[in-house]
Amino acid sequence: MLLKLALRNILRQKRRSLLTGLSITGGFVLSVFSFSLTEGTYENAIDFFTRDHTGHIQIHSGDYHEKPKIYKTISQPDTIEALIENESRIKTFAPRIFAPALAYAGSETSVVSVIGVDPLLESKASRIEEKVGSGIYFDQEPTGSGLAKVMIGVGISVSLDIGVGDEIVLISQGANGSIANDLFEVVAIVGTKSSFENEVVYLPLEVAQNFLSIPNEVHEYVLLATDASKSISLANTLQKRIDLLNADLTVSPWQVVESSFYKSMRADQQGNYFILAIIIFLVCIGVLNTVLMSVLERTREFGVLIAIGSRPNDIFKMIFIETMLLTTLSILFGLILAVPMLIFLTQIGFILPEPIDMGGVHFHDLRGSVSVTVVVVPALIIYGFACLVTIIPGLRACTITPKVAMSSY
Amino acid sequence: MNYVIETQHVHRFFGEGEVRVSALNDVSIRIERGEFSAIIGPSGSGKTTFLQLVGGLDNPTSGRIWLSGANIAEMTGRELSDFRRDHIGFIFQSYNLIPVLSAEENIEYVMLLQGVSVNKRHKRVREVLSLVGLEGLGDRRPAQLSGGQQQRVAVARAMASSPDIILADEPTANLDSATGAALLDVMRELNEDQGMTFVFSTHDQKIMDRANRLIHLHDGKVEQDETK
Repeated sequence: MLLKLALRNILRQKRRSLLTGLSITGGFVLSVFSFSLTEGTYENAIDFFTRDHTGHIQIHSGDYHEKPKIYKTISQPDTIEALIENESRIKTFAPRIFAPALAYAGSETSVVSVIGVDPLLESKASRIEEKVGSGIYFDQEPTGSGLAKVMIGVGISVSLDIGVGDEIVLISQGANGSIANDLFEVVAIVGTKSSFENEVVYLPLEVAQNFLSIPNEVHEYVLLATDASKSISLANTLQKRIDLLNADLTVSPWQVVESSFYKSMRADQQGNYFILAIIIFLVCIGVLNTVLMSVLERTREFGVLIAIGSRPNDIFKMIFIETMLLTTLSILFGLILAVPMLIFLTQIGFILPEPIDMGGVHFHDLRGSVSVTVVVVPALIIYGFACLVTIIPGLRACTITPKVAMSSY
Repeated sequence: MNYVIETQHVHRFFGEGEVRVSALNDVSIRIERGEFSAIIGPSGSGKTTFLQLVGGLDNPTSGRIWLSGANIAEMTGRELSDFRRDHIGFIFQSYNLIPVLSAEENIEYVMLLQGVSVNKRHKRVREVLSLVGLEGLGDRRPAQLSGGQQQRVAVARAMASSPDIILADEPTANLDSATGAALLDVMRELNEDQGMTFVFSTHDQKIMDRANRLIHLHDGKVEQDETK
């Protein structure tokens, strides 16, 4: 009977219920839209950022990440690789070594970062191969000159005025204190001026190990997880397993490795949630107004219901059911509108008038994300607020005395 | 004696200090089961206040009220709700039906609160609709019924759960003379055939003519209590 009463009371003021329902629907659809786009943008940004070079998890020796030194290496790579390969939640990994160096070609010199990478594993763990602008990514073919291959960033190419096929000299210090210097042939130019690789020289891992006198050792393992959202827990698991090996290695999720990016992203995300909260707040004001009006109009009726034997909590229940019913119907209607919108956002997205260059990767569109969370969270928030706004009018209705209520019009 | 209502030295004041108004002043009345009584008197004499007090819709400033042997002044809000549901039927001057429910549903409502089974409810609704002469109109909403028909629904609602007493506050005030008379005949029949106790507050001569007891109130005091 309470449900019947609630439904009929909703239909009693059709226009008002329709307007309130539409405001709930609008709020829900806007929330889903905003939530989807926010989540989608951040997922894309995180994917870009982690796939560009950071990975989801990194393993270093001791405090290498905070205070990098050439001699702080992972000295047992086979053991670590075996451990990584045994973890099903890791999609792929890549070893790297790093060193600063002086590069020169002709009469020009430039300070560069040398990164040694495993060509095959690195192409799976990062976008480096996609970012080759000219030339060919590391392959098995020897160079015509017989020299070892290097790939250089655009900045080095410009400052040293060299291109694909030209020679480059690198001078650095080996881990054993020796002077490392060698002549290499440029096989590719990677990235753009704004990208991470601008001042980077890539060497095949084995070449870099020999060049820097750290054979069979690496400075870093970059891991890609099957589920990026579980990076922190996976990093903790790996750390525990590595600790059992008594190896002084540190496993860090990308949130730690790139903490400033993570913090700024979180701050931006919270800003968007604030906008979301404002949308929902406005919807709730509308719902509160409707419930309050409906209660005020029916004061006499509530008095009669209490007089003939309804308990005050029956009145509260009736108002609560009315609000929940209107909210449910509005959200269901909103869902019908939200599904094609989500399909559009995830499949097509918004085409940007100018592509955004983020570290050499061009974003041509803004895409949303679709998940149960994107739909359920706004629905639950609206339900929660609808419950909340029912309390005041509901209490008012159930605490009135029948004598006073029945004398009102 | 088997009193349905018993009041002892009931006072009801409204306001404070100089603006304090005495609506009821030392009212002691006993109403027996099966009575068809009318509380009569001019406007402001305390008729409605008396009905509100004995109906548990208001509390006396002082004095005691027993309804079917229970002291209603000592009841909590919830106990009073349940007591009204199970022991009292109300008929109001302006019908006070729930506009979104049909006549049948309005009548059924109190029984639903009592937890009466669906079959028993429906059977009882048919019975009382027949008693008040509204067969075939059960599915109509109040707005689709005339004033007289609405008040008949209100009578049916009040009696459906077989309460100990039906309190009727000027039930014919909004009805034309013929409709009012017809409705009173229905209530009188219910009183005579089923022994249902009715207490009216009224200044309608038709009710006074049919009542077997007239309690005259004046300025909140019982001025005269005559049994026919």
